[in-house]
Amino acid sequence: MGYAAARGGLAAIEFAENLVQELRDGHPSSPLETDQVTGRLRLLVDRVMGEAGLWAPELAAQALRQAEGDVIEAVHLLRAFKSTLPRIGISEVVDADDMIPERRIVPAFREPGGPQILGRSTDYTARMLSTTRRETKPKVQPASGTPADEPLDVIPPMQRMSDVLRDMQLLVDRRRTDDSEPFDITRMPAKPPAPRSARLSTMARAETGALVGQWYRNILGPDGYLHEVTLGEVRHGAMPITVTHPVTRNPVKIGEYRVTEVEAIEDLDGIDEDRALFDIGYGLCFGQNERKAIAMANLDIACHRDDQRSELEQSILMTTDGLDSSGFLEHLKLPHYVTFRSMIERKIAVRQARLQSAPTESKP
Amino acid sequence: MSSTVDEIAGPPQSVPFALLDEESKREIRRALLQAVCIPGFQVPFGSREMPVARGWGSGGLQISLAIVGVNDTIKVIDQGDDEGVNAVNLRRLITSSTGIEETSETDEATIVQSRHRIPEDAMTSDHILVLQVPVPEPLRGIERNMKELERMHAEGDYSKMWVSLYEDKVRNGVITQTTGYPCLVAQRYVMATTPIPRWDIPRLHQAEFLTLFGAGREKRVYAIPPFTDVEPLTFEDVPFEVEASNGAKCRLCGSEETFLVETPGSESRWSCSDTAWCRRKRTK
Repeated sequence: MGYAAARGGLAAIEFAENLVQELRDGHPSSPLETDQVTGRLRLLVDRVMGEAGLWAPELAAQALRQAEGDVIEAVHLLRAFKSTLPRIGISEVVDADDMIPERRIVPAFREPGGPQILGRSTDYTARMLSTTRRETKPKVQPASGTPADEPLDVIPPMQRMSDVLRDMQLLVDRRRTDDSEPFDITRMPAKPPAPRSARLSTMARAETGALVGQWYRNILGPDGYLHEVTLGEVRHGAMPITVTHPVTRNPVKIGEYRVTEVEAIEDLDGIDEDRALFDIGYGLCFGQNERKAIAMANLDIACHRDDQRSELEQSILMTTDGLDSSGFLEHLKLPHYVTFRSMIERKIAVRQARLQSAPTESKP
Repeated sequence: MSSTVDEIAGPPQSVPFALLDEESKREIRRALLQAVCIPGFQVPFGSREMPVARGWGSGGLQISLAIVGVNDTIKVIDQGDDEGVNAVNLRRLITSSTGIEETSETDEATIVQSRHRIPEDAMTSDHILVLQVPVPEPLRGIERNMKELERMHAEGDYSKMWVSLYEDKVRNGVITQTTGYPCLVAQRYVMATTPIPRWDIPRLHQAEFLTLFGAGREKRVYAIPPFTDVEPLTFEDVPFEVEASNGAKCRLCGSEETFLVETPGSESRWSCSDTAWCRRKRTK
């Protein structure tokens, strides 16, 4: 049979599934427990939850294990799982200042209001491949002195850099007075021109690599719709999730999730912009994923300034979702012999049309 | 605290009938109703992530799952073949999550989900044809900007499309559009006919059956209601051409009147793309 190699129906599919499952689960190493994944591969779990738009560390770990570590595949498992669940409620609005910070960096000022917290980061760690495994539990032992002047349990309030700039009358005021509902990208596809909430939620769920790629394409590629920003805030920490109690109608905190939040300060220099002011781009995503939140904040302000002049918004809305792009790319593996047969037929038709219209004299 | 969460969440459920939660299915059906009311118009909907990847029939699957009932019988084909791996995979997802019957016989089916083909057998008002759509926008080849595309459809401004067909004809001697040939639906919207071959296009015109198109990745559905005009875009003096096979016959059933696919290299290299039709013809 012509297509026998990839035909064979159910039996072939089941053999393929068994191969994956048996070679994965039957590996002679000790079984991979999900607490190892959540505990030791935290950033991977964070990334999967962010791209899935679902905070569920245990499920994300299970998905990663099932997907043999393929991030897109794990994200797919989580999102498809979410599709089977009804939406039972909507949480209360939270203030980002309610974050319990684990990390806070303010590149724009040497001494911002509140601390700079380096926190859990390899930013300034030499990237030397460690080939020996440390068996004993390491203790956090700073070289000398304490990591901060104040002990960490009395953190002074963190003054948000956008507020600082606003107090200095250096910031465009784009605060809205209406309290409009955010655009829900999981219930209605966003298309340009879209509200900012649609762009932000699209980027919050975007594939990290796609967003970084989109950012860098603008830095060094042919687009160039954005500037390099100055970061006002890079924060990572825990946020409360609060719902209305079904009986008492009081707000009840039912859990926490971690986010990365970024404010990107933009130096306005356009002809129609106020050169005396800054503007701010905003990024926020699940987990600790700073490169994603930074790319998001910078693309947010770039998109606002672009104001529909280019197709940046369409690029952000339509091309950054990991499941969309990977799914469509990989669909090329499906049989296409009906469409290809039609293509061959038209090639022959063009050739015949050429022969008919060609001069009739014979060639040597 | 956790008891409150449990109370709100309710008892844990197994996977619901037809995979999607009821609210989602209702939402898809609403979009489909709008699509039926405005033939050929692309209706946006909140496409869900399915157990199959986007680009692999997730739109068609969502439609089938949204409209399926316990008494339906499903046929799924890919390239005309019930046994193609993707057809098998989609069919088992539908049957395992609903418990409904499956068939390869078109006349036994109530829902026919397909990629790239319309079954050779005549379908009636007893059938709903669900087509998986990779690219729902017929004008994307000539215009990339989504705002402009929206305007062109809204105003019925298809002049760029006509110019493109004209240039194609002038440059190449024939219109080289292969599958997914653009059609005007109900004298109003130009529609992408998925990548079904041109062979299948005339079978959509004034068809007795309802056709639903699902593009999961692009989050659009559209429809051709029964007895609707579907006219391939062409010029008065340039007749629309289906795929020529120049007298080729199916090497298995001898058929000349079906859409044939090619097996390169072999002596008699043509066979029916619709495998169920071919098998039935041979056993008759």
